[in-house]
Amino acid sequence: MSEPHTLAGAYALDAIDDDLDRRRFEEHLAVCEECAQEVAGLAEAAARLGQAVAVEPPPGMRAAVMAEIGRVRQLPPAVAAPGPAPRPAPIRGRRRDTTARTRRWPRVAAGLAAVGVAASLVLGVIAVRTQDELERLRAGDRQVAAVLAAPDARTASGSVSGTGAGRGATGTVVVSPSQGRLVFVSSGLSTLPPSRTYQLWRIAPDGVESAGLLRPDGSGHVPPVIVDARGGVEKVGVTVEPAGGSRQPTTQPILLLDVQTA
Amino acid sequence: MGPRRPTVRPGDGGPSEHREQAADGGLEGLLVRVARGDHAAFEQMYDLVAGQVYGLVLRVLRDPAQSEEVAQDVLVEVWRSAARYEPGRASARAWVMTIAHRRAVDRVRSAQAAVNREDRAARLDVRRPFDEVSDSVEKSLELERLRRCLNALTELQRESVTFAYYDGYSYREVAELLKVPLATVKTRMRDGLIRMRDCLGVDR
Ligand SMILES: [Zn+2]
Repeated sequence: MSEPHTLAGAYALDAIDDDLDRRRFEEHLAVCEECAQEVAGLAEAAARLGQAVAVEPPPGMRAAVMAEIGRVRQLPPAVAAPGPAPRPAPIRGRRRDTTARTRRWPRVAAGLAAVGVAASLVLGVIAVRTQDELERLRAGDRQVAAVLAAPDARTASGSVSGTGAGRGATGTVVVSPSQGRLVFVSSGLSTLPPSRTYQLWRIAPDGVESAGLLRPDGSGHVPPVIVDARGGVEKVGVTVEPAGGSRQPTTQPILLLDVQTA
Repeated sequence: MGPRRPTVRPGDGGPSEHREQAADGGLEGLLVRVARGDHAAFEQMYDLVAGQVYGLVLRVLRDPAQSEEVAQDVLVEVWRSAARYEPGRASARAWVMTIAHRRAVDRVRSAQAAVNREDRAARLDVRRPFDEVSDSVEKSLELERLRRCLNALTELQRESVTFAYYDGYSYREVAELLKVPLATVKTRMRDGLIRMRDCLGVDR
C-alpha cells in the first residue's frame, strides 16, 4: 500500500474485508491525523445514508432490548475521568498519591475494555470492538488484552494538571500480578518540541528504570506500553526529558500512578 | 458495580461539537446520560435511533428475522458501550450507525451468510437506494437533500458507495461486480464519500 490514505473511503464503508489490509490501514490511522479526521468525516456522511433507510422496527424489539439491558453490565469509560489532578511529587517520595483513582474491573468487563482501549487508540472514530474483532488482534495487542482480561486486573488513573507539558492528558495503568505485566495507556498528550520527549518510568524499591519513550501522534494518543510488573513495582511515572530520553528522570513527573493501590 | 460517570476530557466542547449537538437534537446529551445507566434516557434514545438501526441492518442483510436479532445486539451494545463514546470524535448518530453497519457487515460476511452470496449478487441488479424507503422516513427534507447529493455523484462513485454501504460488499467485490480495477473502486469510494460529506455539510 504505497498510498494508504486512498483506503479511507473503503474503511469508512466497512468495505475492507481483508484483515491484513484493514490492520495496515488502522496502523496508518494511528499515526496519520489527516486520515483519522477524514475517516471521521466520511463516517458521518455514511451514517446519513443509513438514516435514509430507516424503517419501523418490529413491535417486539423494544421490549426485548429493554429486557436485555437490564441484564447487561455497562462498560466503564476507556480512560478514567481526569478528576482532581495529581500534583507532581518527588519520584522516590513516600507520599501516597491520593489522587490516583482506583477501581476494579470484573473479568468480562475488563476483556471488553481491552478491546475498547485498542480501538480507541487505533480507530479514533468509535471506541468499540466486537468479540470477533478481538480475535484478529496482533501478538502485541494480545499481550495487552491478556493483561486487561486477567481476573486480577486492576487499574489506576490520573491526569496531568497545571499549564505545562501534557496538561489535560490522562494516563491509566492496568496491572495484573498473575500476568506479571502492567499496561500503560494515555491520551491527550500534547506534542512536544523536537528537543524534548515524554519518558515512562517503572518505579520499584530497588530503583527507577526507563520503560520507554512515549511518542504521541497528532491527536495525543500513544500505543499501549507493556511493562514488566514483577519485583514489586510501586509506581509508574511520566516525565519530560531531553530528546532521546534519560537514564534516570531529570525532571519532576507530570503524571504518577500508584500501582500498588490499583 | 454500578454504571460509571462518563468521562469528559478537558478540551472537549469545541465549536464543531456544539454544531453537531444542535443538529442532532440532543442525541449526544442522551448518550451521556445513557452512559450513567439512565434507563429513561436509553428509552428516549431507542425511539430516536431504533428505526434507523433496524432499517440499515435490514438493508444490508435483507432478512427480517436475522436483522431483528442483529439490530437488538446493536442497541444493547449502545447501552453497554455508551461510556466509550467520545463526543469530540463523532456525532452520537454516526457512532450508533457505525456500530450498526459494522455488525451487519460482520454478519453478512460470516460463513453462514457466505452461502447466500450468489443469491445476494442476483438481487443486486435492480435495487437503487430509496426504492424501498419512500414510505418510511419522516424527515423528508433531509431525505430529499440526501437524494440530491447522491444524484450529484458520478455513476461509478454512487455505485461504489452504495454497493459497499447498503449491500455490505467489500471493495474487491465491488470491483468484480462493476468490472473496474481495484484502485479505481478505492478511489471512487473515497471521492464519492468526500463529495457526499461536502454536499451534506457534514462539518468535519
Ligand atoms: Zn494518511
